[in-house]
Amino acid sequence: MAETICRALRDGAFEGEHAPALTIKDTIDTPLGSFVFNHILTQLTSNILAGKSQARGVVLVALSRPPSFYAELLKNKGFDVSSSSKWLRVLDCYSDPLGWKNKLMERGTVRNPYEETLLKTSLCKNLKELDKVLSSIIELGKEIVEEGKGRFAVAIDSVSEILRHSSLPSIARILSHLHSHDQVSCIFCLLHVDLHEAKVAATLEYLSTMHADVEPIVQRTNGQRNTSEDLPMVEQSFKRGKFHVRFKRRNGRVRAMREELYVEGSGIKITEVSSEDGITAQSLVPKVQFNLDLSEKERLDRAKVVLPFEHQGTGKPIQIYDGRKSLNESENEEKQASVEKPQTTEDSGRGEIIYFRDSDDEMPDSDEDPDDDLDI
Amino acid sequence: MDNLCANLLEEAVGISKGGRVVVVEDCVQMSGAFVLHHFLKRSLYPDTSDAVIFIAFAHPFSHYERILRKMGCNLTVHRKNHRFVFLDMLTLECPDRNGKETRQDGLLALYGEIEKAVEIYSSLEGSRIITIMIDDISLIEVAANGSSNHVLDFLHYCYTLKAKYGCSFVTLNHEDIYSSANTLPLILQLEYLADVIIKAEPLATGLASDVHGQLSVLNKGSVCDLGGSSSKVRNFHFRVKENIVDYFYPGTQT
Amino acid sequence: MASSRPRGGSFSRNISSAATAQIPGVKVGPNGTSFLSSGIPDLDQILGGGFTLGSLVMIMEDPEAPHHMLLLRNFMSQGLIHKQPLLYASPERDPRGFLGTLPSPMASKEEKSHERPAEQDANLRIAWQYKKYFGEQNSEVQRGGKAEYCNDFDLRKPLERHFYSGQRVDCISLRDSPNLAPLLERCSTFSAQISKSDGNITCAGRIAIQSLCSPQCDFSDKDWEMLSFIRSLKGMVRSSGAVAVISFPPSLVSPTFLKRWQHLADTLISVKAIPDEDKELAKLLTGYQDMLGLLSVHKVARINTQVPAILEATTFSMKLRKRRALVLECLNQAPVDGSSGSSYGTSGSCSGSSKSGNLDF
Repeated sequence: MAETICRALRDGAFEGEHAPALTIKDTIDTPLGSFVFNHILTQLTSNILAGKSQARGVVLVALSRPPSFYAELLKNKGFDVSSSSKWLRVLDCYSDPLGWKNKLMERGTVRNPYEETLLKTSLCKNLKELDKVLSSIIELGKEIVEEGKGRFAVAIDSVSEILRHSSLPSIARILSHLHSHDQVSCIFCLLHVDLHEAKVAATLEYLSTMHADVEPIVQRTNGQRNTSEDLPMVEQSFKRGKFHVRFKRRNGRVRAMREELYVEGSGIKITEVSSEDGITAQSLVPKVQFNLDLSEKERLDRAKVVLPFEHQGTGKPIQIYDGRKSLNESENEEKQASVEKPQTTEDSGRGEIIYFRDSDDEMPDSDEDPDDDLDI
Repeated sequence: MDNLCANLLEEAVGISKGGRVVVVEDCVQMSGAFVLHHFLKRSLYPDTSDAVIFIAFAHPFSHYERILRKMGCNLTVHRKNHRFVFLDMLTLECPDRNGKETRQDGLLALYGEIEKAVEIYSSLEGSRIITIMIDDISLIEVAANGSSNHVLDFLHYCYTLKAKYGCSFVTLNHEDIYSSANTLPLILQLEYLADVIIKAEPLATGLASDVHGQLSVLNKGSVCDLGGSSSKVRNFHFRVKENIVDYFYPGTQT
Repeated sequence: MASSRPRGGSFSRNISSAATAQIPGVKVGPNGTSFLSSGIPDLDQILGGGFTLGSLVMIMEDPEAPHHMLLLRNFMSQGLIHKQPLLYASPERDPRGFLGTLPSPMASKEEKSHERPAEQDANLRIAWQYKKYFGEQNSEVQRGGKAEYCNDFDLRKPLERHFYSGQRVDCISLRDSPNLAPLLERCSTFSAQISKSDGNITCAGRIAIQSLCSPQCDFSDKDWEMLSFIRSLKGMVRSSGAVAVISFPPSLVSPTFLKRWQHLADTLISVKAIPDEDKELAKLLTGYQDMLGLLSVHKVARINTQVPAILEATTFSMKLRKRRALVLECLNQAPVDGSSGSSYGTSGSCSGSSKSGNLDF
């Protein structure tokens, strides 16, 4: 069902709506988020090349891995990298995010620090100025699509890297700007959740239309970091994990999917969890705070409970206490009437409303109808 | 026999063609420095022309020189033969007085020195892997007055050398420092970027003269490369001697 | 037992007798290192010879007991007796006043009055019970000459004034400065005086800093500044012929910073008070009545070597012998017969406290 994500990204934005956005999240326990990212990137690329997708090309913002990595990745997947300039632009925020290399080159310490790749890249030398990053993303996107028409996809390979240099609100602003940009077809980004406060993940979830979590198969119970005792588990967690997707649908529903993810060969394989075990099927439903269903034992137990207002074992008619004096001898009609209006205050005789005037300009209580001025 | 034992670590770590990031983590009770020495010696084997750039925050040259000499590796000679660069950062200070800029400049200058050395070495003849080693990352934080972001920026720049020059990295950090939530990102980021994580721990039963501690090697395989996942986890005991370290599975010590 | 200790083979001992002649109070150790005495013979023994020259020693104080002061006093006194320069920093207003409380060495006569296995051949094989005497050879007592490597100090007798009046003794109060810069400067000029030339030490020096992060200092809330100071100090000391001892109350340092402090230490020692009149403990520990407190060794300086120091025991009891000299005893060495444990490795020849069994030979 990971295809659902790919399909959604392929179909892109509907007229007058925001572009679909996917956040991939992982933690150090199962650091497989980058695999998912690569998988989605290649899927989207093949869709673009087949002409099936709304996007004409991808702008890849490379933050945690160098452009050469992506060149290699695409080559291994059988794409023609040399002609990639038609559908791919890389904004290289990896090589020199703070302009150090540039400074060193100017000082003459080093000669040529930059790496050459086959991909068409553009270098970002100051990641701190996010507005410039944003404008270069859009500029690169416009290079791919012809001016005025067509859309492009944006891939950000690790938001975590940007967060080191900029504040969360400024990143949120950039992302929402991209969502609403009328030439952006879709966005997907990667986040290492445990590097940041909980608020960061929540913000990105809020902004995105889909989020995919990579979680360990067995949740660590003690909350501790890796210890030598659970080494076999650690080994497993580098190979497979749970893949949870939550999908905000346009009709207002949320679709949750649970799958399993295997690292296999040069990529990943995502399989549906067999629905045989009922627990998984049940947990597809969003969790609620309380039990709606009772087990058989619970039902029996409930039946046994003697409620306090029942006359126990006397065979007399059941009467419901309504806050007034017991009216055992009264007629049936009267009892019915009391049930009808149990909350009227004058009956109880105990309730009292103390009224303080708000200010002195208010007239003392008058007989004037307060709704007098209502013009119906 | 000794040869076989040394292979337990090497087998777990695997053979690298460069571009690999190894993170060594240790704790107060058990120093992991000997793993660093192992990689240092390994990179300076006479049958290769590989080079090492060593950034020392914890100990001066004389310390490493003496240890490696006992292991059969003469750093002074390697230094002369352009295979070993030692950057003594014991007194590096990136003070805070003039705001952020100074702090960054100290690390920028250090990075400049590293990149310069890498550039020179990679232009020399022969195919060589350059390994960059840092002997205590937590001390960079101290030098940067506690700004872990500056440390991560610095490390990011070091890692960029991987893409162009195929440099390998071996770094040491102390795991037990990073126990609270606000200090955790540094070590987690290191682990995200690592290909191999090696943890040195004392035995639960305390130090003994014949078993000094245990080593856990988490080899992510080629998560960062494109090949298949050959991730594996190994756990074994070790005993450190002056000239060699014995590695053995629990209970198999002779 | 003692033979499993990695250091202290006869090999290094032979060199030491040749090379230490010039510098009093410095002993050559393994791997090209040298030792200074801590001023407590037993502690020297435990650490394999003393504090390594160029190392940073950190003592974790007990918040309730001043045992760290004992260690500092002995450390400082020993240096003064060897005429080594001293830098002392403390949070008190008048740190120089502390010098008046330093202990004086025991009269060497008293020391010698006891029979020792005199000209014992180092290569002689001896029964294990006698191994503790072996240590005496190690601790480099030069008979006749005044400058012994390590003295026993009489805690009740103050050090004679001439030891600390005329010499290079520098005192600094931590209280009045808003940051650690002045102290760092003093340390750097101090260690520059005694820096190694061509790797050869011409003179050894001692830096003692008491209660570095005590709350009356203005900088005590600046965690990073203190760390940075310790790191700088460590770098300075390493390249000079000095030993720096810092004591600090660990409860005042936040847990993650505490770990950083511990990592910075070359040698890490902690002292602990023991509860008074604790019947449980009294049953458990022999010689409980005479114990002042406990001393634990967490880390031993590993300079120029990668082999970890494996101690036979890490926790020792601190006792006063004859109510004067500080001795350390292994906790787990309590003899069955109820007499107090034999002093760690040394000075078994002195009959111990009143209850002590007859261990003299």
